[in-house]
Amino acid sequence: MKKVGIIGSGNVGANSAFFIAENRTASVTLVDIKEGLSVGKALDILEAGPIRRYDTDIRGENSIEGIRDSDVVVLAAGRVRAPDQSRDELYKDNAPLILHLCEDIKRLAPGAVVINVVEPVDMITLLAQKTLGFDRMRVLGVGGLLSTTRLRYLISNFLGVSSREVTGMVIGPHRPSMVFLQDTIRVSGIPADKLLPPEAMEAIIEEVRKAGDTILQMAQRSTAYYAPSAAVAALVEAIVRDTRKILPVSIRLEGEYEVNGIAVSVPAQIGEKGAERVIPVRMSAREQKEFLAAANELCESLNRVTC
Amino acid sequence: MPRRKVSIIGAGNVGATAAYYVAEKVIADIVMVDVIEGMTQAKALDFLHAGPMRRYDVSIRGTSDFSEILDSDVVVITAGLPRKPGMDRMDLLKVNADIVKSAAQNIAKYSPNSTVIVVSNPLDIMCHVAFRTTGFAVQRVVGMAGILDSTRFRYFVAQELGCALTDVHAMVLGGHGDQMVPLPRFTTVAGIPITQMLDKSAIDRMVDRTRKGGAEIVAYLKTGSAYYAPAASVAEMVEAIITDRKTLAPCACYLRGEYEIENLFIGVPALLGKNGIERIVELDLEREEMNLLKESANAVRKGVDDLNTFFSLR
Repeated sequence: MKKVGIIGSGNVGANSAFFIAENRTASVTLVDIKEGLSVGKALDILEAGPIRRYDTDIRGENSIEGIRDSDVVVLAAGRVRAPDQSRDELYKDNAPLILHLCEDIKRLAPGAVVINVVEPVDMITLLAQKTLGFDRMRVLGVGGLLSTTRLRYLISNFLGVSSREVTGMVIGPHRPSMVFLQDTIRVSGIPADKLLPPEAMEAIIEEVRKAGDTILQMAQRSTAYYAPSAAVAALVEAIVRDTRKILPVSIRLEGEYEVNGIAVSVPAQIGEKGAERVIPVRMSAREQKEFLAAANELCESLNRVTC
Repeated sequence: MPRRKVSIIGAGNVGATAAYYVAEKVIADIVMVDVIEGMTQAKALDFLHAGPMRRYDVSIRGTSDFSEILDSDVVVITAGLPRKPGMDRMDLLKVNADIVKSAAQNIAKYSPNSTVIVVSNPLDIMCHVAFRTTGFAVQRVVGMAGILDSTRFRYFVAQELGCALTDVHAMVLGGHGDQMVPLPRFTTVAGIPITQMLDKSAIDRMVDRTRKGGAEIVAYLKTGSAYYAPAASVAEMVEAIITDRKTLAPCACYLRGEYEIENLFIGVPALLGKNGIERIVELDLEREEMNLLKESANAVRKGVDDLNTFFSLR
């Protein structure tokens, strides 16, 4: 069985381990520098197994050594955004830790596919990819996939249809300027704009843009973690089972979508090697413009924090 | 809430496999009815023996007594003969119309509040028989066809593109036969229309293979026809109704003006939930797609005329 190492046993790390256990797709080792946290969470997950019917091997370790030889490493450490904190400030908080952890990953799991869920996700994914020196297709950030699952839910909820048949694709930076590919928003293949009025579609899109903030404002002391963890588990499953699913992930672009040198979410076919290829999707002129504007905004942010 | 109950009339390969798939979903107790004494009891017992390993614990009964379908939430009609060598379409229609009519009479008698899923062939015509015989509301008689045709289309698309099956959604309208209408514009991979990913000749090839999907399997088996994919399609529809899932999928529905078609069962996108067909979605079809749908409807209408002739002869 493939092995997944999760760095950080907070809400996102632990719930990712739990969802992966339920999927029964890989064994998991949770690591955290906080003594006992990983071991306790792993034990709790294992003890739920008889009722939840999984017998996945879940371990907790106090040392980073626990990720040794992992096929997939999930970066879920660091701080989450506080209400009113800017993404630039958060980047400055998390970057030193990521630099440090990437050295550990290089040493312990040099062949792993790395999934980053640490915010600000596109900036940290780029930092991780550069620091690791791994092929860019092996360093993926959870961004568009999370917004896409939120979009799918909101569309299904509005229409009163099952979310299983709702598709969609949210790409670009994981911030309010994210881009919604209208033509991909469909129910059983039927364009959603045929089923719901334009005002409703706009309202849903606005809700997705600020979904993370909405939950942060409600919960105050924590950010969203169920949907982010579900996105991590979906990516892990696509990798370890080599499903070749097309999922929007943050990846360092080298000319695709006319963007170079930064990581933002684009649709990619996911398999055992990480992203096997970036999928080009036809965009409207407006979407293309939005995408480039959002990428520029992210570049400016990167310039600010690296100066 | 009382336990939910699904009855399946006809315990051949499609009926029995559908019972198995429904059992695995653990959403309802199951009654299988077949006129052949003993066979349904045997199959039910065999399924029950597998339960501890397959982890379902619903009640499964086999019987030849129709009264046991009493108060079912959903009744599936799979009974009927397959077409045999030397039999023409009209012969098959006559034999199965009588079988479906008898099943429908029993449904009206014992499960007057159920939703009926028709599987027997020729499908669209047998939907008419069940609809007329039960006298049920149009929302509560639905035919299984498009969901099967589209699952085949989805499989072919995934194979062709080397992508994940679960990313593919497809829409196939029209009657269940050579004149079905697969719609590539509404067939997508992760929401991306296949018309952006495949050239026309590849799409045409898959459309053609979908139309002949049933025949391809018959050609291999020689003495039988497909039943795993048909049974899986039945189970999907049963689940949508029993669990009120609001699944949008192509089903044979009785149209009253939708798609400019009057008083005819034909495959269209429908929302399935606890009330049966809760909504029919009308797509903006291009002229060529609309023409194909109308041709398909004409073929079904001819079958209904044959049916009327047959019943009036007696």
